[in-house]
Amino acid sequence: MQKKRGLGFFLLRGFLVIMAVLILLPMIQTFLYSFSSIGEMKAYMKTRGNLSTEVWMDAHLSPNMFSLGQYYRILITDNTVLRLFVNSVFYSVMILLGQAVLVPTMSFALSKFRFPGRDGLFFIIILLMLLPFQVTMVPNVLTLRALGLTDTVWAVILPLWFSPFYIFLVRQFMVGLPNELLEAASIDGAGPGRTYLNIILPVCRPILGAAAALSFADCWNLVEQPLTYLTNRMDLQPLSTMFNQLAKENTGFEFAGAALYILPALFIYLFFQEDILSGLQLTELK
Amino acid sequence: MYTRKRYVIPFLIPGMAGLLLFYIVPFFGGIWYSVTDGSFENAFVGIDNYRNVWNNPMFQLGLKNTLELSVICAPLLWILSFLLSLLLNRVRPAGTFFRSSVLLPYLMPSSAVLIIWLLWFDFGGPVNHLLNALGASRVQWLQGGELRFPIVLMFLWKNLGFCVIIFMAALQAIPEALYEYATLEGASYAQQAFRITLPLIVPSAFLVFILAWINAFKIFKEVYFIGGAYPDEPVYTLQNYMNNMYGKLNYQNVTTAAYSFAVIVFVLFGILFWIQKRAQRGLN
Repeated sequence: MQKKRGLGFFLLRGFLVIMAVLILLPMIQTFLYSFSSIGEMKAYMKTRGNLSTEVWMDAHLSPNMFSLGQYYRILITDNTVLRLFVNSVFYSVMILLGQAVLVPTMSFALSKFRFPGRDGLFFIIILLMLLPFQVTMVPNVLTLRALGLTDTVWAVILPLWFSPFYIFLVRQFMVGLPNELLEAASIDGAGPGRTYLNIILPVCRPILGAAAALSFADCWNLVEQPLTYLTNRMDLQPLSTMFNQLAKENTGFEFAGAALYILPALFIYLFFQEDILSGLQLTELK
Repeated sequence: MYTRKRYVIPFLIPGMAGLLLFYIVPFFGGIWYSVTDGSFENAFVGIDNYRNVWNNPMFQLGLKNTLELSVICAPLLWILSFLLSLLLNRVRPAGTFFRSSVLLPYLMPSSAVLIIWLLWFDFGGPVNHLLNALGASRVQWLQGGELRFPIVLMFLWKNLGFCVIIFMAALQAIPEALYEYATLEGASYAQQAFRITLPLIVPSAFLVFILAWINAFKIFKEVYFIGGAYPDEPVYTLQNYMNNMYGKLNYQNVTTAAYSFAVIVFVLFGILFWIQKRAQRGLN
């Protein structure tokens, strides 16, 4: 049956195209501006914050002259941005490595084993998931202080290894896996360890990809933890907490910094996009 | 399903130990903090800390703003993502491009685009240009109560995609045949929406609502990006208060404020879960 393509068809698509462009605009604009020269951006950013009703900011869509000056500055001559960027990479890698070991094992234990207190434990994890950082920071801080880890990178990294949300997400996917998988494996002589490594992990590929990408997005946008735990160590801050500083100082290279920061997230998104969509679709999220 | 207890040990212990160490045990230990005075003798003071914190105007302000912002953000996010997913569901299979572009901001560091936000909402910036073209006068978006608008917008921009994806997953799980049958029976579009679509996606809709609310409590991020570390009063959140107290090493107040808020969160989600149970039973 041929579908009719009426006015509504085009209105709907037109509306969605406008939505999509608006949503993508901040990224596009950042990349465009990052190719302006430093002087041009400095002059442009100076027109901000003028409260006179007579004056407008210049309309500025793309660089007047293509220049790699900003990139040259942040990558080669001035290493402030680069050092913060490296901090961000360090946090993300360390957090994701820890989660990669701890989250799937915990989820496996909670979904495919029967042991006393399992449901109680899962309930506690859900409760923890509901609590915002304002609340969970208190237990975290008490332990971190007892261990003497405040004002070190571990204060940011360690509590995030046990992120309740990702345990919940992966567990809900594993619950949906048929038990026959485990039975077949044990008939073939594989114990739980082998089954986990050779069967469960490969089968969970979509949700693990999705969880990794979502968790990376969180790590890449860290704000609360470093601001709270690392107040005395500005040198350990990730780039994400320092952007409004850069914008305020009117350095002229803030857009190249932003573009540099968006790029890895963009690659991660393109790489894991299918996993996120299918992983979340297959998960029993109820 | 494995039933032998010793099998579970290697899988359970590492994660369990961390949860106990960083979350569960200190959570109960913290209760002791909130009822002592933190002096050298660490005397027991009962509910004095709670009385102090609740009478503190900055705590009241932070709590009020956090709750207000979440009451604005969570329902708005929920409704917008539901409407958008209904629209997107109608353009499948060509909806992949739209779906991707809606989800993209969730993966983007909003810290990096905050400069764009500051530009757009500048007094002489594009948003005011647009307002001017529409005949309205300019607004000082980056000050006072108006600050809430760019902050909420940034929150929606960032979180819309994730909610849309969960809604879409639920919508696509509804078999097409149900609608065909309903059309044959002469059910109108509205009837189909309310009698078929809505009951079938109640669990997902509820989940999205909860997730939206969890994220709305995290709105401190956007406040920090746009309003800075010391924001104006209308956007001063509970997290600002906590960071302030933590900076002053006043752990008693931090703990007390956190546990007061935890009680509010649990009561709120308790009510939501209760409503969902009722709604589910009502539909069945």
